[in-house]
Amino acid sequence: MANIALLLIFLPVLTAIVIYVLQPRRSHEIALVMQAVLTVFAVVYALHFQADFSETLIVIGGWEERIGISLLNDRLSLPFVFMSLFLWWMVLIYTYDEHDSSPTFLFFLLFLQGVFMGVLQTNDLFNLFVFLELMTIIVTVLIAFRKIGSSIRAGIYYLLINTAGVLAFLIGVILLYYSFGTLNIAAIGGEMAGHGDYRVIQLSFVLMMTGATVKAALFPLFSWLPKAHGAAPSPISALLSGIIVKAGIYMFIRLNDMFAPAGIEYETFFLIVGLATGFVGAVFAVLQTNIKELLAYSTLAQLGIILVGLVVMDGYSGGLLHVLNHALFKALLFLGAGLIVVVYRTKELAKIRGVAKSMPVTTVMMFIGMLSIAGAPLTNGYVSKSFITGALEGEPLLYYAVFLINVGSVAGFVKLSAIFFGEKKLSYPFSHIHKVLPLVLIAGACMAFGLFHVPLAETLLDVDLAHVSRFTLGGLLEFLVMVAFGALFVRFVLSRGFRTLARVGKFRLAFETANYLLVIYLAVLGVYFVLL
Amino acid sequence: MLSSVSRKLILIAAMAVVFGLFAASLIDLASLYNDATKDYFFEHGFEETGSNNLVTGILLDYRLFDSLFEAGILLVAVSGVIWVSKHDFADKNPNFMIDKYKTPDLFISFARLVYPLLLAFGLYIILNGHLSPGGGFQGGALAATAILILYFIDKNKETDIKRIVTIEKVLYLAIILVALLSLFTRSTAFTNFVAPAAGRQWQVVYLVTLNVLIGLKVAFGLWTIFTAFLKEGR
Repeated sequence: MANIALLLIFLPVLTAIVIYVLQPRRSHEIALVMQAVLTVFAVVYALHFQADFSETLIVIGGWEERIGISLLNDRLSLPFVFMSLFLWWMVLIYTYDEHDSSPTFLFFLLFLQGVFMGVLQTNDLFNLFVFLELMTIIVTVLIAFRKIGSSIRAGIYYLLINTAGVLAFLIGVILLYYSFGTLNIAAIGGEMAGHGDYRVIQLSFVLMMTGATVKAALFPLFSWLPKAHGAAPSPISALLSGIIVKAGIYMFIRLNDMFAPAGIEYETFFLIVGLATGFVGAVFAVLQTNIKELLAYSTLAQLGIILVGLVVMDGYSGGLLHVLNHALFKALLFLGAGLIVVVYRTKELAKIRGVAKSMPVTTVMMFIGMLSIAGAPLTNGYVSKSFITGALEGEPLLYYAVFLINVGSVAGFVKLSAIFFGEKKLSYPFSHIHKVLPLVLIAGACMAFGLFHVPLAETLLDVDLAHVSRFTLGGLLEFLVMVAFGALFVRFVLSRGFRTLARVGKFRLAFETANYLLVIYLAVLGVYFVLL
Repeated sequence: MLSSVSRKLILIAAMAVVFGLFAASLIDLASLYNDATKDYFFEHGFEETGSNNLVTGILLDYRLFDSLFEAGILLVAVSGVIWVSKHDFADKNPNFMIDKYKTPDLFISFARLVYPLLLAFGLYIILNGHLSPGGGFQGGALAATAILILYFIDKNKETDIKRIVTIEKVLYLAIILVALLSLFTRSTAFTNFVAPAAGRQWQVVYLVTLNVLIGLKVAFGLWTIFTAFLKEGR
């Protein structure tokens, strides 16, 4: 039974290689069958889960736990495993008819799934590094998959920044191995108590957190994210925003768990990082004129809220719930935006009008996604946002900061919603059921997470949400106030076309500046955690 | 924005802080140093893996799972380079590089001399990976260098890049399968399929097999990458 953990990693990888070598005509069907098999195994595996990990801990090669590499699934990794299975399903269905480059695309897509399962399941620091490195390279190729100049530039940008971050992580791993004589995450966590005063431990915390910050695209190391989304194919954007960025969040949680016995007080610092990420994302999202970059910056705004939820709440519960919810609605929005971009042949918001008339189903699904991300009552976004803000009641300053981030991201979507109205300009024949099916399924999942939040959160995350109701009059009022604020802002500020605002919206960090920020971030983190 | 001088100053200050942190913290290592795993490898490494070269023992036995994915990094990078470099398989033919007017005759003569030596040395490193420093990864890189030299010697050498990519992928599958064999013989995946009790001469079979497969895979992978780059270089 425990070997299913290995199967989750190797089945996609082996299928990917077989597809690449044989280049069969029905490669997509093979991938779908593989995915179905994988899902069955994952469900069986999860049903056998025991709280003492007797069924889900495996030491590869049968060595002692401190010597060998082990894989471990717990209540944290299993929800991530299932969310990534779900999103890969959606992307596989969505890309069904793309014949021209299918085997190569599937090779990278499926290999990435196997590697991502490895990232989630590994219980070994160096193994985690290997998987992160592999993930970085595959995502680079997928970002650059269209082979045009801008996408290759974005891919290289992603590769270099992320490799720098992962190398910082590696140095942290080396310091820990030197200090504890093992790479096993659980074993290091077990011996961490009393080590909090050693500077080496603090420094390795700093280095590893820098790696997680780059991977999670948090302030100020987020600059690769909008670039990558501007260039990547839409299904890859959906995966990137939906789940791959969450690998950084996942690392953040795992590492914090490992360092927790040392008693390093990280809360205040990462609260500030989270709020800064949220503000930057919300402000820039409103100012974008490109549909995919707007969605990319709104991912940043949501990541800010996620980080606040992780830091403030016990057991990371609020942040984790929002991670899962955000994976759903952001994947939905990116896939929907991908359809709109294909039909209208432009990403410029100003040039797209009348989507509601030319693509009615997509419009309905996109509205469900937009309402969810804005946090309208009865949606999953509302549940997790009110769960997080509920924990902030005692701290009005934080509460209003999160409220402001929300207002900003709502304004972004008020701006986005303009594309649905207006006269029908195109009559592009659009009847691909497999393009719309993933949208409907993800929208259904969004609704399910909104309506049945109590049992779902109980089974997936072991979080009791009974006190969070899916609909309150106050919540509706608050949502309407946010929409009104957003609409007023879009109507009276943005539509005036202030040149400074447009210039701020176009501002991008140069690669050189991004590198400077990486070093400065490392220095600031070091001064905060090691010296002070 | 800031002027370039002040940006550089900020960068230097930040670097100084980072280096200062390292200098300040590494003092702790003296009191924290834990070499339990290292001692374990020294004591049990030889008898458990059958490898005189403990690095190979760690690479192919204790941490075989890591090695599989390190080989996977090269595998993915090869496919990525081929995909991103614009040309199709058909017109990727590297014989242009042997430009008589650019490559000196002296170089070509020496290349003829070096080629067999380098190839033999690469094979030696691969085959003796369990006895002396080296192994599949290092020997494979040497063998790939030898193949690169071949392009200087034989001006009309043609490479079917599609075939070598396919061979590379098949070799990777073979590596995974050999690594998986232990699941059937010892009911635990990714270790030597021969139990230590069977004697060292049998354990070596596994080490050599895997080293050869890894060496070939690395050589073919690097061969593909520089074939793709040769065309780009022009």
